[in-house]
Amino acid sequence: MTIHLKIWRQKDRNTPGKLVDYTMDDVNPDMSFLEMLDWLNERLMNEGKEPIEFDHDCREGICGSCNLVLNGMAHGPHEATAVCQLHMRKYKDGDTIVVEPWRAKAFPMIKDLVVDRSAFDRIMTAGGYISINTGAPADANALPINKYDADLAFDYAACIGCGACVAACPNSSASLFTGAKISQLAHLPQGNPERKRRVVNMVDKMAEEGFGDCSNFAECEAVCPAEISITAIAEMRREYFNALSEIE
Amino acid sequence: MSKAATFLKSQVGRKIATGVTGIGLVLFIIVHLLGNLAYFAGPEAINTYSYTLHQMGPILWVVRLGLLAFFVYHVWLGISIWLEKRRARPEGYSVYASRGGASRQNWSSRSMVVTGILLLIFVFTHLYTFAFHDFATAIHDGVEMHDVHQRLTEVFQNPVYTIYYVVIMVLLGMHLRHGVWSAFQSLGWMSRKSNPIIYSIAFVLAVIIALGFIGLPISIYFGLV
Repeated sequence: MTIHLKIWRQKDRNTPGKLVDYTMDDVNPDMSFLEMLDWLNERLMNEGKEPIEFDHDCREGICGSCNLVLNGMAHGPHEATAVCQLHMRKYKDGDTIVVEPWRAKAFPMIKDLVVDRSAFDRIMTAGGYISINTGAPADANALPINKYDADLAFDYAACIGCGACVAACPNSSASLFTGAKISQLAHLPQGNPERKRRVVNMVDKMAEEGFGDCSNFAECEAVCPAEISITAIAEMRREYFNALSEIE
Repeated sequence: MSKAATFLKSQVGRKIATGVTGIGLVLFIIVHLLGNLAYFAGPEAINTYSYTLHQMGPILWVVRLGLLAFFVYHVWLGISIWLEKRRARPEGYSVYASRGGASRQNWSSRSMVVTGILLLIFVFTHLYTFAFHDFATAIHDGVEMHDVHQRLTEVFQNPVYTIYYVVIMVLLGMHLRHGVWSAFQSLGWMSRKSNPIIYSIAFVLAVIIALGFIGLPISIYFGLV
């Protein structure tokens, strides 16, 4: 199949970027989107041209490294799918796909389709941890957690930190990511010691990193490869309200 | 900085404040709508309603000032969140599209700042047309009072003002379609189960409020009352 690509090329943060046209006329429908980019890069390198930089690692939808906006949608058009799991059979012969990086002030450009997502790491450092020494794995039933909380914590823990929520949000808000991390720990006893400080610090850090305000567009939930619900954001707000005593 | 100031300046606090002021304004709008319906009961009903409100003296002023504060704060929050959005993404996408599905991006949510600003302008013109108008007087049961009924009839016989009012009420419906649901989400009163229910209730409420307000000018203009 033939696929026309318009790919964002940008040398570095200080050089303006632009969309460059590439046509791939030997795309196998069973290729993943990233495999097609590998294919294109191989061709570019054989021609002595600079390959396209893009982030990837596990290519099985669990590491959160891949980050492409395809035709205006973070991770492409299919729900619950990271772009590494998107296969070319989902497209039609002759389709044009515009490929752009995550765009947010808090995710500064590195090169082409690669952006710096370390702002997420700094939000995690602000409170996304538990400080108690967990030691060796405890017996599964030693610490009873009811099914409701266990399920919710697990749903929120599914966040792979890819940043699609920020990329898709019209306001570039990191509320879904931060909400998922806060709510995950809020449902588990291990998260209790730092519960209040966690939400205050993480919410503050999120704003400090330059992410925008949430306007409840819920676009984040729609693009999330882990299908995290915006209920995580509602929970973050409840947690924040309950942590009023910790606000300085 | 005091705790309250820190809270209100945080991203979560700003949303909670937008939600609280929004809910306050919606409650006012519902009371206002119920008041409007008194027109259908005849001149004495609506004039007496207006007269009774005016007799409340200091309480009325407390409510008025409270409303003004809520309104100004709500507008300020909305505009500042919108400005923040532009700052948070200096370089936009060449192509941007909503994924659909769980997304609440639609004509209503995307236009909140526009409908909000038009509603703000409307409130000024609306106060000029009604609140600051030099009313004629009517006498009911020997009591002299503002003839609100006469003023409403006069204003809504003007096709330009009637169309303007109807259009703005449609915009109000649009604003509330996203706003009411959004307020619940902002205040954290949302679970995965209640989310679609509240989203639907917000739609029904927005339609009822918009149609309720549109009913009066249309009825007057076409001489149905």
